[in-house]
Amino acid sequence: MKTMQVCLNVNGESKEWSIAPGDLLLDVLRREGYFGVKRGCEAGECGSCTVLVNGKPINSCLMFAAQAEGREVLTIEGVEQGGKLDPLQEAFLEYGAVQCGYCTPGMILSAKALLVKHPDPTEAEVRDALAGNFCRCTGYLKPVEAVLAAARIYRQVGPSGARPRAKHRSALHGKKR
Amino acid sequence: MNANRSVVGKNLRKLDGFKLVTGRPAFTDDIHIPGLLYGKILPSPHAHARIKRIDTRKAKELRGVHAVLTYKDVPRVPHTTAGQSWPEPSPYDTYLLDSKMRFVGDRVAAVAAESRAIAEEALRLIEVEYEILPSILEIEQAMADGAPVIHDEPDSTGIHDAQTNLAGYILREIGNVEDGFRESDLVVEREFRTQRQQHCPLEPHITISWLDSDDRLVIRSSTQVPYHTRRQVAMILQISVQRVHVVKPRIGGGFGGKQEMLLEDICGALVLATRRPVKIEYTREEEFYMARSRHPQILNIKMGVKRDGTLMANKMTVLATTGAYGSHANTVQGNTGSKVLPLYRTPNMRFECHVVYTNTPVAGAFRGYGCPQGFFAQESVIDEIAQELGMDPVELRKKNMIRLGDIDDLSAQLGEGRKGLPRHVRSCGLPECLERGAAAIEWAVKRQTLPQTTGHLRRGVGVACSMQGSGIAGVDWASALLKLNEDGSFNLQVGAADLGTGADTVLGQIAAETLGVTLDKMIVCSGDTDFTPFDVGAYASSTTIISGGAVKKASEKVRDHLLRIASKMLDIPVDNLTCRDNQVVTKCECEKSVSMEDLAHYAMYKEKVQVMENASHWNTDSPPPFCAQFAEVEVDTETGQIRVVHLVTAVDLGVAINPMQAEGQSEGAVAQSLGYALTEEMVLDASGRVINPSFLDYKMLSAKDMPKLTTILVETEEPLGPYGAKSVSEIPINAPAPAVANAIYHAIGVRFRRLPIRPEDVLPALREKELPSPQRS
Amino acid sequence: MFDHVEAFYRPSTIPEALRFLAKGHGRGRFVAGGTHVVVQADRSIRFLVDITRLGLDYVRQGSRACVVGATTTMAGIENSPAMLALANGILATAASTSGSVQERNMATVGGDLANASPAADIATPLLALDAVVVVADARGRRKIPLADFFSGPHRTVLGRALLVEIVVPAPPRGGRVGWSFQKLGRTESDISVVNVAAGLQVDLRGCCRWTRIALGAVGPTPLRARTAESRLVGQRFDRDVLERVCDAVAREVRPITDLRASAEYRRQMSLVLTRRALEECAARGGCPL
Repeated sequence: MKTMQVCLNVNGESKEWSIAPGDLLLDVLRREGYFGVKRGCEAGECGSCTVLVNGKPINSCLMFAAQAEGREVLTIEGVEQGGKLDPLQEAFLEYGAVQCGYCTPGMILSAKALLVKHPDPTEAEVRDALAGNFCRCTGYLKPVEAVLAAARIYRQVGPSGARPRAKHRSALHGKKR
Repeated sequence: MNANRSVVGKNLRKLDGFKLVTGRPAFTDDIHIPGLLYGKILPSPHAHARIKRIDTRKAKELRGVHAVLTYKDVPRVPHTTAGQSWPEPSPYDTYLLDSKMRFVGDRVAAVAAESRAIAEEALRLIEVEYEILPSILEIEQAMADGAPVIHDEPDSTGIHDAQTNLAGYILREIGNVEDGFRESDLVVEREFRTQRQQHCPLEPHITISWLDSDDRLVIRSSTQVPYHTRRQVAMILQISVQRVHVVKPRIGGGFGGKQEMLLEDICGALVLATRRPVKIEYTREEEFYMARSRHPQILNIKMGVKRDGTLMANKMTVLATTGAYGSHANTVQGNTGSKVLPLYRTPNMRFECHVVYTNTPVAGAFRGYGCPQGFFAQESVIDEIAQELGMDPVELRKKNMIRLGDIDDLSAQLGEGRKGLPRHVRSCGLPECLERGAAAIEWAVKRQTLPQTTGHLRRGVGVACSMQGSGIAGVDWASALLKLNEDGSFNLQVGAADLGTGADTVLGQIAAETLGVTLDKMIVCSGDTDFTPFDVGAYASSTTIISGGAVKKASEKVRDHLLRIASKMLDIPVDNLTCRDNQVVTKCECEKSVSMEDLAHYAMYKEKVQVMENASHWNTDSPPPFCAQFAEVEVDTETGQIRVVHLVTAVDLGVAINPMQAEGQSEGAVAQSLGYALTEEMVLDASGRVINPSFLDYKMLSAKDMPKLTTILVETEEPLGPYGAKSVSEIPINAPAPAVANAIYHAIGVRFRRLPIRPEDVLPALREKELPSPQRS
Repeated sequence: MFDHVEAFYRPSTIPEALRFLAKGHGRGRFVAGGTHVVVQADRSIRFLVDITRLGLDYVRQGSRACVVGATTTMAGIENSPAMLALANGILATAASTSGSVQERNMATVGGDLANASPAADIATPLLALDAVVVVADARGRRKIPLADFFSGPHRTVLGRALLVEIVVPAPPRGGRVGWSFQKLGRTESDISVVNVAAGLQVDLRGCCRWTRIALGAVGPTPLRARTAESRLVGQRFDRDVLERVCDAVAREVRPITDLRASAEYRRQMSLVLTRRALEECAARGGCPL
């Protein structure tokens, strides 16, 4: 089988990988240990495989690895900085936006790209940004709330900011019978 | 009631949350195994066929192929794939590999090869000659005279009547419905049809299996039922249970589709044949037609009431198909009766159900488990009766609904395949659910002011109620093991299967609350048949109440031991001690205390004892959660499109151990139910092939499609549940579809009795009907 | 899936790209965003030629036309000031509703046209705007009107040429002009069940001076409802005329039944969306009905 080389930057590190010409970026990333990039449909529909290429969310299941030559790729593994969680990651935890977690890496990356472009997004803009990340667990409400909360933190302290302080708006509790 | 609690009732972050938001390796496929082979299943292209000849020579000779298995190569052991307690109440009608194919997608053969590409090539090289048999695709044809027999094999058992393709049959009656109808002033009888819905977990089914150094078969699988899987795989592969070790990593969603032993047996067979590790993972396409889906049903409901709204008789007759195999056939449909009819009190109830085989994809467990179908029908008819009587739909429900203190006898007749136990309603928040839900959607106002017309848009509001269960009475059981570490942390080992539901966290909270420690002191390990004690697995809304019950018992035992040790250390009677804030403290004013860490050190190095306890738990009853859901919809009368504007869920879940997680579960269930109502359907062509096995053409709702959601947790205190908890993971999926259908009726005066309700069904209905004057309640 | 691919070429000039494709002897394929090539997973492909580094990602507004490079993504079109300004932004609108963010970052206008799905959102407004496709092969460049480019569902006259750019002529000048793009899907992010792109100019007497009505997903290719257009030109633009024109559109389309919708529903929606499109055109032109 023929192989070729691809040189790219993944999460801030230069990589040079030997790949087959028909290899897809999703497969190569997982083969190289980036397990946070998930396989959900292999047809560019579900967004579980979302990574950022030069800052833009794309479905890595549809990109040939060879096309990533010279590009900067960000996977979920590169989102935390020096062991510190990104405000988006903190917000997803704080707001209960993570259930099974399979869609979570893709969602966080899509949200991260959104907040760079639109630091003060409306709910509709957040939903449009997440429309390509299917989630079967949450019904999307808490992820949307988490993204909006993280946006507030980014605006206050910058993208490498502190834990979100915004309180979770808890459900209405009933009285004991 | 949560005011005095420090861990239960708090919105604490999930224990597994860190690894999920950072993408750390946690799921079945997040592992590199040297020498791993790729397994693949050859699916039948025919809905009903026999293998006349199968030649695997070319496939075996392909370089890189290590095994090709057909029915000739494996033991023939009748079984069910349903993940249920033994003896499973589903027919034993399935075989690891068979010479007869019963649906498009049935297993013809399986290969293991050094790469996915080689495995796919090997499948193409398998030569098969089929004798194509006439097939049955329509439910109503399954029992017709002269219909081909789908299960004509002599060795299957548990089939009600194989000759007429009748997988299961249920008949239960209380009182006499015909008498009830005679005494009624109004009788309404309607037919409903529901469709095949697929779970669509973002992580498809996947199993990786290998022989470990002790030659034991390790199965690492995305499963809701590790223990049932262990038992079933052992039986099918004819090895001892002792030799099988099932490990459940993080699961990327299941919703009942993984309450099934689906790939583990064939994966194990390939491992035994090759003596190499093997991975089988479904593609998204295979997940659609080779996994499981919701049972389609035709439901006939007949309800009779007095003029004042008193329900006199409720008769439900169901014709359902289980697809080609009978996994969950009796129990899903049993639920359609047992959990639906008793919502309304009446002396006369009758439930009759035929569950037939058809040559279609196999149905199985799916969140709600027969209830979404039943409540769609029943909640629509109740709504119609309210309309006929000129009563507010909420008032009619209040008049008839089950109440605190009631005993539901229908459940006694409909256990999981055996005689059940009567259900006592010991907690019931349904009236409050209706009241608070109605307020949240502004029911009173909107029933008067809607349907208002804004150009071509018409709005309406609708309501529907439901109940469910919390565990299967007398059947579901769980155990927990809790041990103290020397720094005051604890290992909690549970067989329970967290499939993304947050079970590990909820169980950790129950333990932490009981022990008087903070949640961060808990290390929860779940779903490993070697290292965690037995649990039936995650289904029937059992984890919080049954697994949680075991956790609470084990924690109480550990706490008692901790108090005894502290008593020695502090020289204070046990009666005067309690656990709180990661320490043991005196109840009285003298304020002596010892930290859990110091206590642990003392236990380990002075007493030289491992503080460790285990407990098992099951219930003799299944306390129902209750739910009232309200929908506001907007119908575009030009395009027929239905937009759900607001969906309110008011759910009595007992006590919410983690309210934030409970809300999240509810919101996800609602999303699935709205898809069930409006967009989701597996479509088959005339040859029985699924023609939309992709997210492109099987439409789930995305973030842009979801309406405003309001979730109201109504808390009651359930005596049978740990800290008063019942369940919440299934019930919110039961009633959004009828709530939406009832709201559509309010908006445009048309009743839809078939799901999904599509725009192109709405338009002709609108044309046939004049738009009604505004609804009076 | 593409285990049989023997080579992946990354040319930097168009002649180089054409040479690589020719070397493949029919088993080579151009690839840009991959949203069609990868999904279709054609196992006969032996060579892939990446055309995203040929410098074909541009939107150039000229005085007589706006020229869009073939590898401009839907996101590129959606955010381009020139596209937003052109014809009430109908190309930008169509691009913005063509799929998810991820899809829009990958799908290219050239790829969508070459794939020739009758439902491709970007094709419909291009057809309404009388776009012209520029293709390059060994003989040089040729121009093909978009209306002549599609020959059937997923079939074009492209052959082994490379689609280089799309020329969008400046819309007819004048006041009281409006353009609209309407789309209907089963959910918010869906392939069109029906889409409509329309343009309209109403003169001072209230008569239609010209109109363009294009529809997607209701025929074997995106189509112009020219008969219906002719029924509107010169007529007073009022409710009666509008309804007659929409009726004419419904009779002119040739939809099929597939699992997304029935032919009958598509026919009815052609009428409804055309009405909504022309109403919006008139409103945008400052002469609402």
